[in-house]
Amino acid sequence: MRMNDAVTGGIFVLLSAIILFAVRGFPTLPDQPYGPGTFPAIIAAVMMVGGLGLIWSGIRSHVPLVEVADWMRGPATLHRMVWVPGFVIAYIYLSKPVGFPLLVPVLLGAFLSVTTGRPARSALIALLGTAALWLLFAYTLRVPLPLGLLTEVIY
Amino acid sequence: MDAVLTAFAEVLQPQVFFIIVAASAYGLMIGSIPGLTATMGTALLVPITFFLDPIPAIGAIVAATTMAIFAGDIPGALLRIPGTPASAAYTDEAYRMREKGQVELALGVNMVCSTIGGLVGVAVLIFAAPQIAAVSLGFSSYEYFWLALLGLSCAIFVSSSSPVKGVLSLCVGLMLSTIGIDVVMGVKRFTFGDTELIGGVSIIPVLIGMFAITEILRKVARPSRLPAPPPVRLGAMVSGVGSTIWRFKGGVARSSLMGSVIGALPGAGADIAAWIAYAISKKFSRSPEKFGTGYPEGIVSASSANNAALSGAYVPSLVFGIPGDTITAILIGVLLMKGITPGPMVFVMDTGLVNAIFAVFVLANLLMLPLGLAAVYGSRRLLGIPQDILFPIILLFCVIGAFAANNTLFDVWVMLVVGLVAFLLEENDFPLAPMILALILGQLVEENFMKSIIKADGHLAEFFARPIGGTLGVLTLTLWALLIGMSLHRAWRGRHAEKPETE
Repeated sequence: MRMNDAVTGGIFVLLSAIILFAVRGFPTLPDQPYGPGTFPAIIAAVMMVGGLGLIWSGIRSHVPLVEVADWMRGPATLHRMVWVPGFVIAYIYLSKPVGFPLLVPVLLGAFLSVTTGRPARSALIALLGTAALWLLFAYTLRVPLPLGLLTEVIY
Repeated sequence: MDAVLTAFAEVLQPQVFFIIVAASAYGLMIGSIPGLTATMGTALLVPITFFLDPIPAIGAIVAATTMAIFAGDIPGALLRIPGTPASAAYTDEAYRMREKGQVELALGVNMVCSTIGGLVGVAVLIFAAPQIAAVSLGFSSYEYFWLALLGLSCAIFVSSSSPVKGVLSLCVGLMLSTIGIDVVMGVKRFTFGDTELIGGVSIIPVLIGMFAITEILRKVARPSRLPAPPPVRLGAMVSGVGSTIWRFKGGVARSSLMGSVIGALPGAGADIAAWIAYAISKKFSRSPEKFGTGYPEGIVSASSANNAALSGAYVPSLVFGIPGDTITAILIGVLLMKGITPGPMVFVMDTGLVNAIFAVFVLANLLMLPLGLAAVYGSRRLLGIPQDILFPIILLFCVIGAFAANNTLFDVWVMLVVGLVAFLLEENDFPLAPMILALILGQLVEENFMKSIIKADGHLAEFFARPIGGTLGVLTLTLWALLIGMSLHRAWRGRHAEKPETE
């Protein structure tokens, strides 16, 4: 998604204004005007100047405000891309209640079916992939990947 | 001599050696699969290094990246697709050699020159780093502040997009580094009441988001099928290589030294070193007209330079804690996680660690010869892995990797948000290197700036009062003047380019 420089510049100006507003409440050293807010305030000031520069060049450039890049066009492309945040968010919410060993093969299998278009092969690869990563992280590196529904079955 | 032997004994311990060999194999895989860059490979390696001791952890990163930069040449020569950006400079040349039936010679030259370049870079690192460290022991907060700022400014200067976007990317990185408890008074800043943010943004999920999620989004959107690579005769990879390199020995020496220096500049890494070395070798060549027709001279120079740059980048990283490229930025993050603060004191207090890092570099570059041959042998199989299977599995790896360091799902959120924001920024031509450098250096910059300004009681002239500090300060300001000049020139040129259309 390509944005006109004026749009990105505007976002930076807004962000810097919020930061400048937020640091006003920070304390300062007893005899000096410096404190935890000094450094963020300087960065925010630089950010604001940069953002204004982008707005200036963006307005003169006559580029559309927001435009989808050529390579991202098409419903199938967008569908595959949405799967990336979808996959991560599903993992965040479901891994604890459902458990890694049950959730991941399904989730990964579904994602692989979307990218490859071959469900049977995807299911097999998802099972093998899950097992390999479980072996590496949970078994070798002792990362406590959630067992979820399986907790009661195993213990 | 004893110290050298001790360092090698440490690195050659079975467990450490096994990790280095495994990381090398991983690096060769990452490098030879187009779309997986050395930086992304390092970011994905970080969650694993979290569980290792410092020396095997650094060994793993050094070995994996050294191999990845060479392995990027393999698909370049076989398929005309560079495996990593560092190989892009001479991909066409290598492919032309394939068309002439010299693909083995191209790969052999790539491999041996990578080793030579890497070893020259290590030699520069071994000789230069302790000397510079000895000088910099007397540095105070002023010098450190200017040095860090100079490093960050260089990162903007060498990035190819507009300086304004580089500065903004830098600001984002610096702002991210201010989240958490502040260094002056211990006040909570920008934590939004969230306890997870009090300790600051964890570096692992940010790295994975920035370098892996962005790439996954791009690759999942546009899955590409690679053409079948041609068969390679390993025997032919060895014969003729020596004489070719000997013919261009001057270029190898020049490019290796230049690559080490370019690598040491903050922000300029292996890819820029390769482009510059290629251009310069064409300029100094006796037969520049042969460049671009499958002539090995450019390949010899550029593939020495990119591996030399990789080692050179460790000079400022180890001596000052200022990363020379994105890979060393990640490495510094790893060192900090291990409780080691890179800086001149490391050379005094922790010589064992420093020598071990040198030993790892030598070992990794030597291992490149046998393992490189194996990688070329296995490349047909590796390049056959369909990308539409690879990237979903890498995504799962990212999710677990982001979770693993602190065992918290909050970090998975951080990875996702940073990844999406970084993707948008890259789509709009914002360079990511200044951001990651700034995130790593942010605390160093702020701490030394605050120390200095409090000591100076607000008198900015104090920042220029010491000889080295003053020189660094003037250098930094000169660089800024150049950057501003460049921006204005761009704007002016843009306006003149537009005029004919409007008239």
